[in-house]
Formats: sequence, structure tokens, C-alpha cells
Amino acid sequence: MINQLLSLYSPHYPKILVYMLQASEYKIGPYIAWLHRTKNFNTVSERRTLNLTKPARLLLSALGLGILAQIFAGLLLIYLGIWHHLAGGIVFGVAVLISYPLLWPYLLLIPLLLGRALVDIPTETRAAHQTQDALAQHKSIKIAVTGSYGKTTMKELLLTVLGEGFTVAATPGNKNVTKSHAQFVKGLTGKEDILVIEYGEGAPGDVARFAQITSPTHAVITGLAPAHLDKYKTLAAAGKDIFSVADYLKGEQVYVHGDENVQPFLKKSYKVFDEHSALGWRVSDVTVSLGGTSFNMTKGKTTLKLKSGLIGAHQVAYLSFVAALSRELGMSDEDIKNGIAKTMPFEHRMQPYRLHGAWIIDDTYNGNLEGIRAGTRLLKTLPARRKLYVTPGLVDQGEETEKVHKIIGKLIADAKPDMVVLMQNSVTKYIQEGLKGYKGEIVLEPKPLDFYTNLAQFVAEGDLVLMQNDWPDNYS
Amino acid sequence: METVAVIFGGRSTEHDVSIITAIRSIIKPLELTKHFRVEAVYVSKDGSWYWDEKLKDITLYTSGDITGFLNKHHTLNVQFDGGLTFFKTSGITGRKTTQKIDIVFPSMHGTHGEDGALMGVLDMANVPYVGCGVRASAIAMDKVLAKQVVQANGLPVVPFVYFTKDQVDTEPLKCLKIITEKLHYPLFIKPAHLGSSIGISHASNDKELQNGLEVAVHYDDKVIVEEAVHNLIEVTLPIMGNNEPKPALLEQPLTSSEDFFDFDTKYIGGKKGGSKKGGVKGAQGYSQIPAKLPKQLEKQAFDLGLAVYRALECSGIARIDMLIDEKTGVVYFNEANPLPGSLYAHNWNRAGVSNVELVSELIRYGKERFAIEQQLNTTFKTSFLQQF
Repeated sequence: MINQLLSLYSPHYPKILVYMLQASEYKIGPYIAWLHRTKNFNTVSERRTLNLTKPARLLLSALGLGILAQIFAGLLLIYLGIWHHLAGGIVFGVAVLISYPLLWPYLLLIPLLLGRALVDIPTETRAAHQTQDALAQHKSIKIAVTGSYGKTTMKELLLTVLGEGFTVAATPGNKNVTKSHAQFVKGLTGKEDILVIEYGEGAPGDVARFAQITSPTHAVITGLAPAHLDKYKTLAAAGKDIFSVADYLKGEQVYVHGDENVQPFLKKSYKVFDEHSALGWRVSDVTVSLGGTSFNMTKGKTTLKLKSGLIGAHQVAYLSFVAALSRELGMSDEDIKNGIAKTMPFEHRMQPYRLHGAWIIDDTYNGNLEGIRAGTRLLKTLPARRKLYVTPGLVDQGEETEKVHKIIGKLIADAKPDMVVLMQNSVTKYIQEGLKGYKGEIVLEPKPLDFYTNLAQFVAEGDLVLMQNDWPDNYS
Repeated sequence: METVAVIFGGRSTEHDVSIITAIRSIIKPLELTKHFRVEAVYVSKDGSWYWDEKLKDITLYTSGDITGFLNKHHTLNVQFDGGLTFFKTSGITGRKTTQKIDIVFPSMHGTHGEDGALMGVLDMANVPYVGCGVRASAIAMDKVLAKQVVQANGLPVVPFVYFTKDQVDTEPLKCLKIITEKLHYPLFIKPAHLGSSIGISHASNDKELQNGLEVAVHYDDKVIVEEAVHNLIEVTLPIMGNNEPKPALLEQPLTSSEDFFDFDTKYIGGKKGGSKKGGVKGAQGYSQIPAKLPKQLEKQAFDLGLAVYRALECSGIARIDMLIDEKTGVVYFNEANPLPGSLYAHNWNRAGVSNVELVSELIRYGKERFAIEQQLNTTFKTSFLQQF
């Protein structure tokens, strides 16, 4: 209790506030929620520290000056109260002096709101118009990629495989909002055959707006799962937003990964793909190892034997779709084969590496239930001396939080790892409930960073560790 | 939560190695188990004992700040209260801190630590501890005694002779005569009680032999001289357990045939064997794990390692070094290490034992041995005192 109170008056307190704002991506809602949740401000910055960018420096300066001004005002009032024998003045001065940690977390938002209204919104609006104009004139095939999960993977696969036969450009990394779309468009030469544009859904209306701005000719919906439910509230609302890109295309050239959640949104004209088939191709002979995934695709008398560096049977749905679409767009079988062979695990997404003779599968960028389902399935399939499963659970699950985490617990139990390491947080209890009946060892880790940085101490030759998702400071 | 005291440092030439073993290979994984409260006890080079949380920080030693730190802190007091309790005073007010110790994890290589001296103190205190007991430690750390015990058990050792420092100092020529009569060059001259290859020399003629003897008695009061093995393959085998010891993997140091492990090769980036092709860098230079040996030799080496572990009555953990004559196919016992540097964790990792599992297992073995010892009768009713 005393430590918590003292943390408000720590010299690092202003820096912590700006860090919280920065880690919340300057979004007021998450920042306020984090602020209200935090009891000890000395333990906030566990994973990272404040990156002193220009906006961060400006905010820190404004905050520092404001706090100093308030302390000075408080001291002045106390002095005047003593000088003029005004007990009320002294009390008021003390109140002003000690209240700065309660006021400034909120006053800090004023420059932020002003900056947003006067700079950000006009800039973004202008950028959106420029993007809209540029893309409307671009003669290429424009493939929009959206969904609750797997967007970046799908985008990278399209870029890699289609790149074998066409000039392709794609939005970089996981940059998938208006600002980053504008940056992407600025870098185009105009000679591209195909553009792959990732849409990052975050709140109702996002996908429809992105479609209006980017004028897609094709759309790939990678799947639907509980994500960003803090904003969407329900899975149906998230689905409605994601499928608005299909409405924009009037149902034509819409490709949908047919997971169970998309079923209510499907229309006849949509082309559905999954692990078993894609655009009329039948998938068979799937073999998975830590070296990659092999599978065959057959249509009529043609069979394509493909091997990808990606690991997991769940990858076959995306890979086979990309291969099938590439063929539909006119690529040769040889180019498709080469393209698929070039697909390798992406950073922190089912990315295997060796540590002390153990295999670690880093899937810490995975933040959705379908990813957990795929990962636990992979863990179950692969042979190992000892299997470890590590997760903090998922964020932004809204009202579905309890249900989703109980499912995760069941999925983990079904994969039968020898040890489950749960990064302790608000959802741990639900995962534990789902794990009822699990016979292995459960380790609760209150300091995730301790575990991740010392992973080498926990593993040995023949071990297999699957790490799924990671919670940044603002969710802890 | 049980409290484990890790004791390291000490008045030994292997003081620095012991710090690394303690902090990197014992304290860190023990803390990560979350089953133990770990207390760091540092024994300085002058033999003073210190107990403080900050002693777990490796930078204290690497930066040289340890001297200043020790000057500002009180030494540790120990209470033998049917077990072991630490207490110390600190601060201006002389605040007293006490801590009951449930088990000790010795991490002192060489003299006073690995040779049974510390184990004797712990036995007297009636506290469980990790690793070999007094007898095994004392025998294993005396290369002469170890070879004699192994030989008496019908296990192969290379021909050897030994001398006291006094003999070498007062009758060097007589020593040389005995050696050249009984053994054939090339020879190795070793201090009998030191580990980490300190003070070891190689001799191909009388002059080198004489020098080697002088070097060895500079470090120790007993010297062993033994014949070198021709067509040599050196292997080492870490083993853990009590009555049912289990081996890790046979490891072959990647040194050239005319060389042998010296301190620098083992601990300072592998001067001689460093960066060898196909090897892995472990706690002690580069080596091949598992050693690539013909099946028959591999089996012989495993059998000999385990037989020596039992013959020396090792418990907890030890590492058995062996010499193989590739042509004759004979595997010889070379020496035993009751506390392998860094616990030979790199080898255990390859054998499928993680660092966390390794220290947890060793704690378990320590407690198991203690429990068995507690069942022994240590009192005997007599009327002896009544006659006075």
C-alpha cells in the first residue's frame, strides 16, 4: 500500500505516464483503462521503456513543466498561508501540492486531444483522399486482405508466390491502417501488376472505409474469430465489418477461408477455401515436420506437389488457396511450385528455432483463438521428448473472455503437453478451468519476462516448446 | 518454500571458476524453479564468509567491485542448532537477520570445497547437501588415492608413481630415478589435489620431468607422475545419482593429440582446443558430444565410468575422466571430479536434462542421501560414563 502510494511521487512517474500513453498507441480509452487498473506505477514498465520520440518528448516536457508549476503553486500557497496566518490557505496549498499525481494523468490528454483535432485528423483525411485518387487510377489487380487472424501471413504468401510470375507490391509488415496505406501508395511505381493491401480491422466501420479508399478488385477474408471485441462487442459485429469488403465488390472475386465462424456470412458467389480444397483443387497427402509442410493439390488430371517452409497443417488452407489463385491469374505450375517453396515462417509466427538442442516454436505474435487451435494441433502432432506449452492467453476478447479462455484450456489439455506455463494475468483462472483433468504440470509465471529471457535454462535436447501470444505491458 | 544455501568462492586456485558455476549454473536455475529460496554465500580468497542477496550478481565480481563490497559488509555467522542457521548483522542499527538453511548446494571447486572439507562441516551441522560426501570427495580429489581405490577394484589405470613435496624438494634425483625406472616417457606430472588442470606438465625427457616436478610441488604437497597413453582419445562422462547413477553423454575434448586440457583451454575461450570444427562450446572449451567412438569402446567407457562412480562411492554428481588407447582398445580411468565445472550442464542439456531439471534433481539426490543417513544409528548405549 505504501509502495503504491509512493510510486505516485516517484521521479519516474511522469515518464511512466507518457510510456503508458505511448504503449497504448496514444489511444485514450486503453490508456485510461490501464491507468485505472494500475496500483503500483513502479512496476508498469516491465517489457519496454519509453521510446523518446518527438511526440513523447513534447508530452514529457509539457507534463514536467505542468507538474513543476503545480508544485510551485502549492508551495507558494503554503508560504502565503503561513505568512498571513491563514490555516485554510495552508491546507489548500498542501492539497494543491500533493494532488499533482491525480490531476496530470488526465491533464496530459489535453495536448493529445488538441494535436489529434488540429494535426492528426486533417492529415489523415488528406492522406485518405490522396490514397483513394492514386489507387483509383492504378490499373493493377488490387487484392484486399482482411479477417480476424492470418492477414499478415496471407499477405506475405500472396506477395511471395505471386511475385514469381508478376510484379507485386504489398503493404509492409503489419502496417494496415489509413496512414500506412498512404505511405505504401507513395512508394508505388505505377508498373505493378498486383497490389496486396492488408486491412487492419479494429472498430466497426474500419473495413468498409478501407475498401472505399483502396478500391479493391479482389478480397481475401482470412477467417473470423473473437478479436478486438472490446470495440466490436460481438463476433457478429466483427463479421459484419469484415464482410463489408465483400459488399463493396458486390460478392464477386471474394475468397473466404471457411472456418466455422464465417458460415453465417457466406453467399453463393463467394469462393470458399479450407484445408481440403481451394478453388476446385483437392488437397491431399499433407505431411508436417519442423522443416516445413508438404501437400499435393489435384484438379482433373493435374497434380501439384508442393512444399512450403511454413509449419503446421493449418497453413495448407492458405497455401493451397494462394497456389490456386496464382494459377487462376495465369501463373505456370513451375512458378507456383517455386513460389510456395520460397514461403518461410514469418518472425514470431510459427517460427521454429533451436535452443540448447530443443525446438522452440515462436508464435508470440499470434493473438487469436484460431491460431491457438492451430498451434495446439501442431504441438499434438509433432514428436518430442518433452512438450511445453507457453501462453498468457488472448487480449481484447470482450464479453467472450471467459468462454474463449476455457476453450483455450481445453485445447491445451487436448494437445497433452508435459508442462503448461501460464503467464499469470486476469485470464489465467479461465484457462486453468479449461485445463481441468489435464494430467501434466502447470506452472504459473508471474514474471513473463523472467521466463522468456531464461528460456534456455528450462529446455534441453529433444524438447519442443510452443509459445503462443505475448501480452505487452498495457495488458498486464 | 525450502531455503538452499549456495556456497562458492573459497581459498582455492579455482575460486573464480567456482563463482561462475554458482551464479550461472546453480543459483539462476534454482531460482527459476520457484520452489526454492536461494541464499548466496561467498567465501572470499582469505576464507571469510559473506551472505548477501547482492552476491548473486556476476558483475560484482567481473567489475572488481567485490573488494569494496566486502569491506562494507559484515561476515556471516553460523549457528549449529541441530541444523544450520545463518545470521548476520547489518546497517547502523546492527539489524540482525537470521535464516534457517534446509539444504546446502556446495559450489566450491578444488581445495577446501571439492576435497571434502566443506562436506565435513556440513555433515557436522547435520544439514543435507548436494553432491559427493566427505569420503568420495576426499578420495576423488586426491589423484593418487583415487587411482589406488580404482585399481583395488580391478579397474584399469595407467602406470603411475607419486611423491610428497618433501621428497621432491629434498631428494629430486632419487625421485627422477624411481620414475625413469618404473615408467616410460612421455609422462604427465600433476599436483595430486588440484583440479582445472592447474600445474600439470608434460615431459618427454629428464629435464622436462624435473621442471614438471618443480612446477607441481609449487602448487601441491603431493605429486603424481603417470605414463601418457598412446593413440589417445580423451573422454569424460558426467554422472548423477546415488545408488542408481545415470550417465549423461560421453564427451570428447577437441584438443590435438599432443595437447591436454589446461586451465586456459577449459575456461578462457579454448586456447588450444578453441573453435574446433564440429565441436560445441561447453563450460570447458570445445568438445564433441556425444564422442564419436566405436560401439564397443563407447560401452567400455560407459561401464568404466559408472564402475568408478560406484567404487569411489560418489553421490549426487561427478564427472569421470577416462583415457582411451585407440589401438589397443583399453579404456583407463584418469581422474574424477566431484563437482564438475558449471555442473557440465552443456552435456546434460544434450542428454535431455535442462538446467532447471538438473539442479532440481541434484537437490532431490542430496535430500535422498541425507534421509538415508538419518536412518543410521549414531548413538550407542553404554555404562562407560558411570564408572567415573
